Amino acid sequence: MLEPLLLALDFRTDVVRRFLFDDVIVEGAWVTIQVAVLAQIIGISLGLGFALMLVSRSRPLNVIAGFYVWFFRGTPVLLQLLILYIGLPQMVDDQTFTNELTAFRAAIIAFGINEGAYMTEIVRAGILSVESGQMDAAKSLGMRQMQAMRRIVLPQASRVVVPPTGNEFIAMLKNSSIAFTIGLVELTGAARLIYSVNFRYLELLVVAALWYLAFTTVFSILQGEVERRLAFGDRERPTTFISRTIELLSGKRGTEMVK
Amino acid sequence: MKGSRNWSLLLALAAVFALVLFAACGDDDDDDGGGDALNPPELDDGKLTVGSDIAYPPIEYYEEGTQNAVGLDVDIMAALAEELGVEFEFIQVADFAGIVGDLKASRYDVVMSAISVTSEREAEIDLIPYFGPAGTGVLVPAGNPEAIDSVEDLCGLTVGAQVGTVQVDYMTEFNENECADNPIDIKTYPDNPTSVQELTLGRIDAQLSDDPVAAYAALQSNGELIVASTGFDSAPYGIGVRKDSPELKMALEAALAAIIENGTYDSILEKWGQEDLAYSE
Repeated sequence: MLEPLLLALDFRTDVVRRFLFDDVIVEGAWVTIQVAVLAQIIGISLGLGFALMLVSRSRPLNVIAGFYVWFFRGTPVLLQLLILYIGLPQMVDDQTFTNELTAFRAAIIAFGINEGAYMTEIVRAGILSVESGQMDAAKSLGMRQMQAMRRIVLPQASRVVVPPTGNEFIAMLKNSSIAFTIGLVELTGAARLIYSVNFRYLELLVVAALWYLAFTTVFSILQGEVERRLAFGDRERPTTFISRTIELLSGKRGTEMVK
Repeated sequence: MKGSRNWSLLLALAAVFALVLFAACGDDDDDDGGGDALNPPELDDGKLTVGSDIAYPPIEYYEEGTQNAVGLDVDIMAALAEELGVEFEFIQVADFAGIVGDLKASRYDVVMSAISVTSEREAEIDLIPYFGPAGTGVLVPAGNPEAIDSVEDLCGLTVGAQVGTVQVDYMTEFNENECADNPIDIKTYPDNPTSVQELTLGRIDAQLSDDPVAAYAALQSNGELIVASTGFDSAPYGIGVRKDSPELKMALEAALAAIIENGTYDSILEKWGQEDLAYSE
């Protein structure tokens, strides 16, 4: 039905099919996944650390964390990537340093540090969402500040932190495409490499889009699952669009009560 | 209210029909040949828009600290536009690798961006050759530490170039032939200056671009970079014109012939130190 129409529109589905699993595309997709996952891990770790610094009662720690968020949230990530990859080696002027700082590593570090600034705010919001009485109660049981934070506050904060973190990771998957600026051939770069030779622009961009959609779809399902597990104690377990769709298709009810 | 909307829709349709008829008539005139070739077809907003990746000195670049496009291409286009009696404007394209698609999508009237004439490109758009062939320049650190003086010397090295350039095609070909056992690690970048910077920083062993561009980068590098011997195949540069605008192509070809005839062309090449690379069939 659709194919004659698409032919008339100068869109070649055969080109999409031919390049969907092309080596360059698959390699690019693998680079994208690695960069996004590793950068997000760095971002979450930094975010946790800096958020604890922000809510701590130490003035110097507040200032350091505040400066970090101010700088990395206040400048474009592309600029940060260029500063790290092109600018820093000029200043350090050490060939080993320059060679070790590959485009792949620079992308992970730059995206990770940038993400950390956003994660700091997300984790801080999570901590603040937990009633202050929880901390007082934990302390009255003899827990120290950090102990109470780890055992009582953070687990409760996680419920608030997970959904925006999933959002951040999805954004990371897609925004990693700007690493092609420094020559890292990730998914979008791979599509551009191919269309620069065969001039089938839209087809190759559609190929890249299908991969991104596949990644974000799988991830959304995983995130929905994590959220359901974290929702212990809630009367109604949250559902995601995708889990609801799956339940609908498998004939189960849309929402499920906790036993 | 409703009535007037129908009325304007009808008018719009009539206008479209008129345009189609007009375009068809234009084609007919074409078959007659002859006529005044220097008379360019009607341009939108009366200006010839030129799509270009304006980061390829000395062919086209922004004069330092300004938004003025300058360079060999800009001067040649200025001379052509003067011949044709039209205004022109260089516009930065989003992505050199997408320049053929931009032209086909009528984003610009023509594209002029040190575009080498290749059969792949000619299958998509018309190219009017106007410069070169220039050859490929191999930019290396001073002293040429990898002793590159032939294509084979690139095998096994890490070499950078801009995505969408013929140099990437060349290296891909070398990897299938000369360098099949010891392939070049090809690093591609969205723009040429970034890949030159990669060479300056020592992340790549050599960097390929068109000869005048490599020579210019060497000149600007304070002796850090030099151009190793070339000897690569190359193709002349062409001005890209849509296949459906033969009148514009004819007008530009006639203007080019005119500026070659009256010596303007040679003086532009001389200004940019490229007098050896005047276009020859």
